[in-house]
This record gives sequence, C-alpha cells and structure tokens, in this order.
Amino acid sequence: MATAENLAEKSALRKPQKPFYFNNSEHLLRIGRQRASDLSALLQALQTVPDDCIFQHTFRTLQEHHFIRQGFSNDFAHWSLFACNEPALAEQFASVDVREFTAIEGLRRRMVEILDEFLQSHNMSGSRPAHEPFYFCAADIVVLPTAFCADTLKAFLDGLNQVSVHSIHHHFIEARLRLHRMSNDFSQWLESEIGLREAADAIERIDIYANTMEGVRRQIARIVSQSIH
Amino acid sequence: MSSDDPRAISANPTVNTQARTEVPRRDVERRSPHSARRASDRGNNRPLPASVLTPPTPPPPPHLDDYGAIVGQSQLDTLRYLAKEFKGKTIKMVNSTAVGGGVAEMLNRLVPLLSELEVLTHWDVITGGNDFFEVTKAFHNALHGAPYQLTQAAKDIFLMYNEQNRRRMQFGEDLVVIHDPQPAALVLSRPHTPAHWVWRCHIDLSNPNPGVWEFLRPFVAQYDTAIFSSQSFTQQLPIPQYLFYPCIDPLSEKNKELADSQVQQICDEFGIDRSRPIVTQVSRFDRLKDPVGVVQAYKLAKKYIDCQLVLAGGGASDDPEGATVLQEVKEAAGNDPDIIILDLPPWCAVQINAIQRASTIIVQKSLKEGFGLTVTEALWKAKPTIASAVGGIPNQILHKLTGVLVHSIEGCAFQIRYLLTHPEFARSIGSSGREHVKENFLMTNDVKRWLLLFRILEQAKGQLSHAA
Repeated sequence: MATAENLAEKSALRKPQKPFYFNNSEHLLRIGRQRASDLSALLQALQTVPDDCIFQHTFRTLQEHHFIRQGFSNDFAHWSLFACNEPALAEQFASVDVREFTAIEGLRRRMVEILDEFLQSHNMSGSRPAHEPFYFCAADIVVLPTAFCADTLKAFLDGLNQVSVHSIHHHFIEARLRLHRMSNDFSQWLESEIGLREAADAIERIDIYANTMEGVRRQIARIVSQSIH
Repeated sequence: MSSDDPRAISANPTVNTQARTEVPRRDVERRSPHSARRASDRGNNRPLPASVLTPPTPPPPPHLDDYGAIVGQSQLDTLRYLAKEFKGKTIKMVNSTAVGGGVAEMLNRLVPLLSELEVLTHWDVITGGNDFFEVTKAFHNALHGAPYQLTQAAKDIFLMYNEQNRRRMQFGEDLVVIHDPQPAALVLSRPHTPAHWVWRCHIDLSNPNPGVWEFLRPFVAQYDTAIFSSQSFTQQLPIPQYLFYPCIDPLSEKNKELADSQVQQICDEFGIDRSRPIVTQVSRFDRLKDPVGVVQAYKLAKKYIDCQLVLAGGGASDDPEGATVLQEVKEAAGNDPDIIILDLPPWCAVQINAIQRASTIIVQKSLKEGFGLTVTEALWKAKPTIASAVGGIPNQILHKLTGVLVHSIEGCAFQIRYLLTHPEFARSIGSSGREHVKENFLMTNDVKRWLLLFRILEQAKGQLSHAA
C-alpha cells in the first residue's frame, strides 16, 4: 500500500539534468609476489600488501563469484576454511561486509583485527602449514563505457536490464570506493537527479551476500519499477 | 589443455607452418584411422561402433556473433569496444606446433576471432629437427619436475634452433606472444623491435628442475610480461605476471549443445543406459588420471546405490603405457556389466560431448593435473563434478560451491553416493559450475584478456614515453 511519503515522492519525480552513464569495469588479474603458507604469514602480508591486493581478494572476488548465492564472500574466508581448516576464523572473515567500507584502508584494518585476535586465542594455528599457499593477486582495471545512457527512468530500467553483471557490480559495489560514502551510483543518481529518495535507500539496503548479482539487478529493477508505478 | 583435435589441421586458416620440417610422430599417429580399431568393453569386449572409426569432416569455425547467444551481447560489445583502438595493429603468436596439443587447439580459435575483430593476428610455428624436439620434450618434463641432467649439448641444440628461427622470422608486429619454453629464446630479437613481448607459459612451473629453469629464466626475464594458467604454476620473476585461465570453446564439437536425440543415439551405440545413474570420467588411460582409483570408488559407492561407470578416453593404442593402464583398468573392472570402458580415437569429440551430457555425475580423480580442461568441459555442461584438489582444478572447483573436491578413493566414493542421493544439491553446484565457466573459462574470456593486456601494455608504454 502506498504511504503518504511514497505518494509525495512519486509526485516529486523530476526529469534528470544529468543522464546516467552505464559503465563497465573489466579486470586483468596480476599475480603478486607475496604468498602466505600459514595464518601468521597471512597476517604479516595483510599488513603490507598494496591496497589493490586487498581490493582484489574482497571486492573483486565477490564480483568473480557473483553467481553464488551463499557461502562465498571473500578469498580470506575461503582460504581459512579450505586450506587452513579454521571454520571459526572463516566465519568471521566471511561476516565482513565490504559495503561497510568506503576506503580500502578500513577494510584492511578490519581483516587484520580479525586475524590478530584469532591468532592470539589460537596459538597453535598461526604456524600450522596450510594445504596450499595463499597467493596474493591484484587486478589491473579498465573502465569502459557501455551503449547505455539513461535520461529517463524508463531508459534507466532498460540499461539496468541489459548491461552485464560487471556493470552492476561497478556501479553498485565498487562505487563506494570512488564516492567515499556509504552509497552507490544508482542510489546517488535516483535521489539527486530524479528525487527518488526512498527507492535510493531501499536499493542501498539490498543484501549482496544473500543474492547473486543477477538477483541484485532484479531487486533494483523491481524497486525502481514500483517507484514509477 | 584438453585432448587434441586433429580437425584443427584443416580448420586453421592463418597458421604459418611453412618451414616445419617434420610433424611430430604422435600427430601422425593421431590422424591415422587405424588407431580407431580398438575395443569398447561392456564385459564382452564389444567393438566400437562404425560411426567413430573415421574422422568426421570438420565444421567451419564459428564467428564472433555466434557466441552472442551464449555470453550475451554486452560481452561482445565489450570485445568490439576494446578491439576498436587496436584496428590496424598486429599481433604475432609463436608456438612449436600447428597441430596437436592444447596450445594449437586454442590458437586455432583465438587467432581467427582476434582477426575478425580487426586486430590482425599472425600465427608462426618454429621449426626444428628431431634433436630440437627431443631436447624440448625433455625440458618440458623437467619443468614439470622430472629428474633431468641438463648438458651443454642440450643447451647448444636449444639455442641453435632458436637462433635459426629468430633469423628466419620477422617481428614487425605490435605485440609478440611466445608460447611455452620451446621458442623462449626468440626474445633476443626484442631490442630490435618496437613490439611488446609476452611469454605465455601453459605449463606448471611450480616445481621445475632447477638446472633447466635457471637456463631458461634469463630469457623469460627479458619479456615485458609473463602469463600463467594458475597462481600456483608461477615462479618469482622480475617482470609482471598475469593470470590467464585456459579456456574451452563452447561452440566446439566437444562443447556445443546437442539435441537429446543425438545424445540418446550415441549412448545407445555405446550401450549406456540413460534410465539409470551414470558416473563418468573422461581422460586418457594414464596412471596420473587414476582410472583404477575411479573403478574402486565406483565399487565402494555401488554397495549403496545403483549406478553405471563410464571410463571414456584414449591413448591406449598409440602409447604402450596407455595399453598397460587400460589392461589394469579392465582387470579392476572384472566382469561388472555396468562398467563401460571406451578407448576412443581422438576425433570422437561429439561422442565425448554426448557422454558428458548424459552423465549424472562427472569425476576427475587425477593424481596430478595441469589445468584440467576436462573438468571445465564437465562444469560447462552443468554437471555435478567430483575432482581431486590438484593442479588447476581448485581454480575451477570451489568446494561445495561449483563442485566437490576430494583427496582419496574413499572420499570420491562418498561424494558419488552423496550427489546421487541429493539431486537438488547436485543441480545447484552444477549450475554454479556452469556460471563459473561462463565467467572465466570460455574462449571469449581469452580474447578479452588479450585485448586488455594489449591495452595495459600500450598504456604503460605511453606513460613511459610521456615521462621520458
């Protein structure tokens, strides 16, 4: 049922002054020099590897596995479970939501904190060799335009439904590192250019860890459609 | 890479093999129809059906637009956009064989697709005598960790043929890609060319023979960048290293969609009963693929659940060790009528495709593996896959997400039972496995990676010239 605020929002819809340009980011995986063969080595490396390595194993790996609905959140969690057999640590790593961070440094600090605390309470775990090493990688990123540029909500929906899931990831998840605020390109545009504040908030609340990226796309489209009708 | 496809011989319009003096013996044998005269066993040593005894006519190679229905228009748009800035630029690919082997199979697809994107790509093959290929074969094994005493004579042979090829070849292209160790020393031409030089290593260098690697390393270090198929296959080098996963072609005979009637017909020909669960391993009869271990796992599982086992592969008729392994597999199978052993000729890609599609579960219980493209093929067909955690397989199988990893015969047996009795979970990992392949291991991904690398190298050069 439409609320008063909802109705007020619909009546306040305006034509955007700036169109929404759908972009796409493509990545080429670079193999880093650092690797960790146990959890102590991982802790040391987490503190020193370049930001783009942290980005790769958290934000990017989420994109690479966008089709998995549950059980995969970042490479540190995956490695802790399957190479180190440390399910408790894996759960803690997995609970980190990358969207709570607007800069890599904060995310790195959180990962270091988790591992440091874990190793303090599990003395023997640090030096136990992993089944396979953790190879630190990073991505060279190329941002490309797509054919879609929206200057109406209908065109926005058209673009949203047709771009690749990488474009969705680019605008919805990576965006906060660009914007340095807890938002995403879609919400930002819908609120500032169209006046759809409630829809913008609803989109920001979508749970990316309980959805595939296709699921995220569908939810955004549903929220925007409901705002139009 | 996956098993060789002899049809590549006539399907390749661009390769320059002018100076190749000799086709390796294994390639000749693979093209021989006589090698098809082998047995298919279902307890009773029944011969293979006549339909597989001669190689079929190769289909025309696909065009870029043909991939649209599979990867989506947006992916093709990305490729076209990336390629736009390289119109008129040229790439040279150099490897050591035009036919046979996964690299040739991959180049057969990659080269025409890049050229269709108007990034003109030449493919050259180095030449050499038997002595050269004996040395490079020994290098290949040694780089995989086999014991080997590197001699000065071997080094001289390697360097002499590389020098001969270097003098014969022109390197006027904008990007030169040298595949694998055999032509690695061609990089000595680099100072005389404007090109970016890339070394694409398709083999596992994680545990190389130190003598051979120390000999090759100074050549590799002269490239602009090196590319590996898995993080775990790399060595420390002073140049940037990138990860390019090996890829399959979703439109090849081995991976294209098949009508159910065709799958049924092929199963009927081989005596495979589609009304009962089918567990399959596709691989050469090679101890490293552990086919006997698969039979043992099947037998353990069969105590609890009805199923058939299909072991489909080749290599037994042109490899003495393969014949021994085949015999061992037959002995392990005994007279169980539900174990179907197929020693197929190498052109049976459609048959392999159909068997994979008919399977309920696919197994790859290798003891050692390269990247494991048979796993990629299984995942692409959305098949719940059980595989050993070796080589590049963990890149493809995320345990319990895109497949199941195992470490023993008992583990494999348990997972066969589990997947056969939990079809919903099996379907779910199969479906994620297919998405994983679509995202990472299709030929269009390979084309994109080359274009991205070209762009990154050009940008780096631009920045360097700007700084200068």
